Amino acid sequence: MAEIATPLPGVSAHPASRRFNGYRLALWLYAAFFLMFLYGPLLMIVFLSFNDSKITGFPFRGFTLRWYEVVFNSKPLLSALANSVYVGVASAIIATLLALLLALAFRHEFRGKRLVLYLIITPIIIPGIIGGIVLLIFFGYLGVRPSLFTTVLVAHVNWVLPFAFLTLYPRLHKFDRSLEEAAMDLGARDWQVFREIVFPIVRPGVFATALFAFSLSFDEFIRTVFTVGSDRTIPVQFYVLIVEELTPELPAMAVLIVLLSILTSLIGFLFLKRADRKTVA
Amino acid sequence: MPAVKPVGRPRWLLAPGIVWLFVFMLIPVAFMVIVSFWSSGYYGTKPDFTFRNYAKIFQSPLYSGQLLKTLRIGLEATVLSLLLSYPIAYLLSRMRGFGKAILVLLLFLPFWASYVVRAFVWLPILGRNGLINQTLMGIGVIDTPIDWLLYNEGAVLVGLVYVYTLFMTLPIYLSLEKIDPRLIEAATDLGARPFQVFRKILLPLSWPGVVSGCIMVFLLTMSAYVTPQLLGGPRGIMFGNVIASQFLANNDWAFGAALAVTMVLIVVVLLLLVGRKMKIEQVFTGGA
Repeated sequence: MAEIATPLPGVSAHPASRRFNGYRLALWLYAAFFLMFLYGPLLMIVFLSFNDSKITGFPFRGFTLRWYEVVFNSKPLLSALANSVYVGVASAIIATLLALLLALAFRHEFRGKRLVLYLIITPIIIPGIIGGIVLLIFFGYLGVRPSLFTTVLVAHVNWVLPFAFLTLYPRLHKFDRSLEEAAMDLGARDWQVFREIVFPIVRPGVFATALFAFSLSFDEFIRTVFTVGSDRTIPVQFYVLIVEELTPELPAMAVLIVLLSILTSLIGFLFLKRADRKTVA
Repeated sequence: MPAVKPVGRPRWLLAPGIVWLFVFMLIPVAFMVIVSFWSSGYYGTKPDFTFRNYAKIFQSPLYSGQLLKTLRIGLEATVLSLLLSYPIAYLLSRMRGFGKAILVLLLFLPFWASYVVRAFVWLPILGRNGLINQTLMGIGVIDTPIDWLLYNEGAVLVGLVYVYTLFMTLPIYLSLEKIDPRLIEAATDLGARPFQVFRKILLPLSWPGVVSGCIMVFLLTMSAYVTPQLLGGPRGIMFGNVIASQFLANNDWAFGAALAVTMVLIVVVLLLLVGRKMKIEQVFTGGA
């Protein structure tokens, strides 16, 4: 089906639809506009991150790398980075593990499956600000002091878990089960089947999920603000710098934040591609 | 032939995830609902059973006004995102091969850039030293920077559309992608005009994606906090900021909880309405 030429208003090679060339041109012009809307502001920030001016903005007063130097030498920023990485890794591991177990369970038929599915996607449905506030109230009354590895970690796992499940579930669902069945027929135990057969097949998918989870956690802001106490993660630190003083190194910091999360998820995508090749084959 | 069961017992596989979500998600939400009926005084929040918090929201024009304004901004952002996203999603669904792969990558890469950063970028565009003001001053159109570009509802709207429009593009693209190109071919061959093709084929068949995108964008924008906080100023404040200030500034948890429950109720009602037409999980998996 994908091979059929697409004779359409707009993008078409079909001779009969030559009269739609106007639409086609308009559509491409629109695509250029859309991409400019999407990337213009981001490219401008990259540009401004090299601006030798104490004001975050224009005019451009010459090229400098000093804002990057400021970022790399700032103690609060580096400690926020460390915090973000720790929480990101921890929540990626926990969420991926929980999601993997849930996805394995979803290969079975069981009562209340739909209800469980709703439970799993609840954290996406509940607005982020509420996701933070419910934990603030809950832990507040329990007397748990807000900190990275208690309240923030819980907030991040809640947030990341549904995405981890939605990434893993299709990979576990559609893979060829004949190997698994053969192993079972030969008397392998559940754990052996999982370790020797199922896991190796879905491993790239699991890595991809963990990387996406890390990226989501790394960028998480709103749930963190309400659970973080006195520690700071990168997005919280970034936000505080905007609100309190609009410091000139913000564009450089923005560039680094975006690069880090985009790189992480790109690697995740590569794993996902491999995962899909493996499971479909 | 009785199929061999997949590995593991569902009960044990489900237990950790379900327990986690129960303890850290459902119970906290239920507790917030309870707290929303408590009363608050000078010495903090007291267990009680009063509807005073809710009465305050709906009787005080300050809060009900904010709520209505927030719903309106959410709706505006949703409509704008829909108009912006549909053509590009359509173009994408009609492309093939390498060019398509590149465009898909280009369109969805910003998904993975922090939304705090993506809201922030509008400050050096709309601000006094921003791109627009400095360009206009540079070419001599104005002498002094325009102040009304930033810190108002319009700036918030631009920021919200910028941050969240991809949540509209993706589901629409996924649903357009599934349309059999032969349908459109047939319609075109039979003499249908582009607008007819759009109205009779594309729109009905991509409807699940449109609904899914609208729900996602509306939910995200009406609960926004960062964008109005950074770009809105006092005039652009939204309901999320009102909720947050009960916890971060006023220390009125009971009232804050009531405001938060109100927001959750709006979400739930919306999803129940949509849930009559399509499965809820489809909303979050792009109508797939």
